[in-house]
Parts: sequence; structure tokens; C-alpha cells
Amino acid sequence: MLKVDHLSKQYHDTLAINDLDFEVKPGVVTGFLGPNGSGKSTTMRVIMGLDRPTKGRATINGKVYADLESPLREVGALLDAKSLNPQRSARNHLRALAASNKIPFARVDAVLEFVGIASVANKKVGGFSLGMSQRLGIAGALLGDPGILLFDEPVNGLDPEGIRWIREFFRSLASEGRTVFVSSHLMSEMAVSADQIIVIGRGRFITAGSVDELTASATGTVLVRSNSSDRLRSLLTAARQVEVLNDDALSVTGLSCEAIGELAFANGIALHELTPQRASLEEVFMDLTADSVEYGHHNPELAS
Amino acid sequence: MNPTLWSTIHSEWIKFRTVRSTVTGLATLIVLTLGIGVIICLAIKAHWGDPGSHFDHLLFDPTSVSLGGLFLAQFAAGAVGIITITSEYNTGSIRTTLSAVPHRARLVVAKTVVLFASLTVIGEVVVFAAFTIGQAIFRGTVPTASFNQAGVLRAVLMAGLYVALLTVLGLGIGLILRTTAFSIIVFTTLLLILPIIVNFLPSSLKDGINKFLPANLGSAMYAPLPTAQNFSWGVATLVLLSYVAVVIVVGTVLMQRRDA
Repeated sequence: MLKVDHLSKQYHDTLAINDLDFEVKPGVVTGFLGPNGSGKSTTMRVIMGLDRPTKGRATINGKVYADLESPLREVGALLDAKSLNPQRSARNHLRALAASNKIPFARVDAVLEFVGIASVANKKVGGFSLGMSQRLGIAGALLGDPGILLFDEPVNGLDPEGIRWIREFFRSLASEGRTVFVSSHLMSEMAVSADQIIVIGRGRFITAGSVDELTASATGTVLVRSNSSDRLRSLLTAARQVEVLNDDALSVTGLSCEAIGELAFANGIALHELTPQRASLEEVFMDLTADSVEYGHHNPELAS
Repeated sequence: MNPTLWSTIHSEWIKFRTVRSTVTGLATLIVLTLGIGVIICLAIKAHWGDPGSHFDHLLFDPTSVSLGGLFLAQFAAGAVGIITITSEYNTGSIRTTLSAVPHRARLVVAKTVVLFASLTVIGEVVVFAAFTIGQAIFRGTVPTASFNQAGVLRAVLMAGLYVALLTVLGLGIGLILRTTAFSIIVFTTLLLILPIIVNFLPSSLKDGINKFLPANLGSAMYAPLPTAQNFSWGVATLVLLSYVAVVIVVGTVLMQRRDA
């Protein structure tokens, strides 16, 4: 169990994360979603004991990272695939890691084989492509067969085949009962690869839930078509917003299909269509983080 | 010993011997100590009978002279120590290291043990070789030293220890400064530039300060007989050890406080 407990981290005058508080559960893939600069990497660094929190703490099975006796056997992480000494071979890199946590060297060859870089195990990692480095990083994360896995932006630099491989890989790790925590700034990626999503923006917690819950909680609109749309419109006083799309179509915000249908029936209005418009996860994300994008796209007013 | 410390040492030993920079640094150390030693000894032998060299003969110490290559080789030793830690910060691999070994003090102890043990072995082998080669060059023309003379064996042993201590000093400087270039500048300043600056001071101040400079501590450690201007070899060793200890402790405390 990975727990982030009222965590804050301040760098000089920047509050990188602000009172984050959440749990990441085993058995599912949990996406950690936020725009660039929202504090995802900082949170992961604090979890890994690399950066000291200003307030609060992050715990792994109840312990802070620094107190773990054999950390690689409890947590595997891929934070930055290029954080390697380029002069060292892949096998020696993993052997040094294995030795530090008393993991047998046979395991090194097993994980190299598993991620598909056994053939270049004796090559210096300085010559590796980003994709190969990612695979080596994953091999390092799996070395101690840990119950908790952290990946920071793992799909960056992977080709489409690699992305598909890694998605299935996350699923299989979760199905083995492990805790899988994956950060991304890409909503579309999280929508397909995560079960649960934690959304942050500007270092603050925004929302959490399953992909379905997040979409459902978004402000839904209902498309209504009727010959008497004018009359119906005047009756929809309880709606938050009614937009006239054309002569016979309305877009209603803030009322369920049931409520609109019953209202129409009670007033003898025939409906030709009554369709809930599901917000895409992408729209939900944009909506949720709209205020929290640090370097957002403004619409500059061009001087004429 | 604590089994966890042993595994950290094992890990650091693998890291130490699997990068080219370590191998290059150690090769440079060996080549400079032996090569410059040979050049100095050959030059002395060739010019031993030169007119007016009588005064040189009075002060001649065949032990220290045969180890003269250390004046340059000590920078290779420092660089090996520095790069052991700064390369981790340069490449970002320190984050991978700390994920595996979150206990920073244990990591520093392991790095210190690996460096000190390796460099003591290599240092002793190379200084004994330089001494032996130097005496072989001198034989017949120039007075030679041998291990049954007072202080000679101890002087050569301390020369090897000096090399190992400078390497650990380099590690400590690297821990504090975290960049290779900056650390090498500071290391070079301590060993080479500081003596030049101190030289500008009035004699009354200069003599008091000079004996505390690391290079002069080294000279005191590997001179067979004590000299008036330097500490005795025992005091010099303790002073240098305390410098190394302070720098390592400061480096460790900073590492514990700073974000990786």
C-alpha cells in the first residue's frame, strides 16, 4: 500500500506540491494525471525518498522510504530512464543494483530477458536509445520483484509497439495484485491504460476516481429534438443552461434524460430524440485542470 | 559487520570497477608515479657528477626522490575519488543509487571503504615499485636507500597511504560540491595553488601555515627522517586524516539534507 499523507514540497519560493493526500491501492493500475509542471515527478521523488518533503510524508506499507531495509524488494521505480552512467553496461548496472539489496545475479539475467534487451546486456548504456533505456529502467524496477511499482511518464520515447507492450505489462502487474502507479500528462493515455485516476494540478489534488466515475461526474448535457422545441424550452426552467442548436434541437445542461422526458410527456410534447452526451475524459481533464495549467495557452489579442 | 553495509560495499565495488573513468584514472596514477619517478632518477644519475652539485648531495634523499612522481600522480588519485561521486550527480544515476540504498551515510561509508581499500592496495604497489625502480637506477653512481635504513620502509608505506587518503579527500570534496569541474578546481587549489599563495606571506606566518598544507603533510609522511619545517610523520598523518574525516562528514551531512 502506497500512501501520500498531507504532503507538501516547497523549492525556494515555489510550492511544487500542496497538501496532497491519497492512497494507491493494489490490484489496479492507478494513473497519476496532471499537466506538465503540476508536481507529479516531485511527488514521485518524495515517495522514493530522493527529495525531502516540507510537510507530511509518503509511506510504503507504513514506512517512509528511507526506513525500508531492502527497498528494491518493496518498490520498483522508473523515474528517469536516462539516469544511468553511460560508461557502464546494462548487466553491470543491474548487478550493482542487485548486490545492494542482496538479489541473486540470476535475477539480473531473468529481467534482462523479460524486457527484451538480453542481447545488448554487455553493451554500454550510453549507446542505448531512449526506448532501450526505458526497458532497462523497467528491468531495474522489476529486479526485486516488488509489490509496488512507480513509473514516471513511461510511454515517453516508446514506439507504438512499445506503448502497447507497456500497457499490457501494467495490466498484468496489477492483475498479479501489485500496486501500479503511473504518471502521465496525457489524458488519452490514462484513459486506456489506467483503472483509477488521481488528477492533480499546480501541486494540488483535484479529483480521483475510476475513468467511468470521472466522466460521469462531469457536467453532462442532453440532446433533445422535438417539433415543439420552443415550447419545451420555456418549460425547462429547472435546467442550468439550454442552448438552441437549430429549429428542432436543444442542448440541455443540468437535467437528466428522465426529468426532460417526463416533463415533455406531462406537457404533451413529442420528443424525437433524447440522447445523453457523454463528456470524453479529455474534456473532463481540460475542464478540471483549466485553472491549474501553469503555462497555459492564452489567446493573445494581436494588436492590429 | 552489518550485513546491509556489506551488500552496499559489494554494490559500490561493482560500480567502481565497471566504469572506464576509474580504470583510466588508476592507470594515469600508476603511469605518472612510475614514469616521472624514472625520469627524475635518471636525470639525477646523469648529472650527479656535475660541478657545483655538492650542496645537492648533502640534502639528497633517495627515498623521497624516487617517489617524486607522486607530486603529479596525486591529482589522478584525487580525480578518481571525485569522479566516484560527481559522475553520479552528472548523469543523474545518484537517484537510482539512492533508490536502492536510501541510507545516505551507509552509502558514503561504502564508497569510502571501496576507495580507501582499492587505493591503498594500488598505492602501496605503485610506490614500492617506484622506490625499487628508483634505487635500481641509482645503484653504482648515486647513494641508495634500503628498507633496513631508519624510516625508509615506513616512508614508502606512508606514501601509499597518502595516495589512498587523497582519493578519499577527493570523494569528500565531490560530495560537497557535486560537480566534477568545480571539485577538481578545489582539489588542485588545496594541493597546488595554496602553497604558492602562502609563499607570499611573511616568513613568520608562512612557516606556521605551510606545515598544515596537504602537500607538505604528504612530504612529511614519506620522508624517512623528520625535517625542521614539517610535522613528524605521525602528526602529519593524523592531521591529514582529520582533514579527510571533516570533509567526509560535512559531505555526508549535506547529502542527507539536500534533495538528490
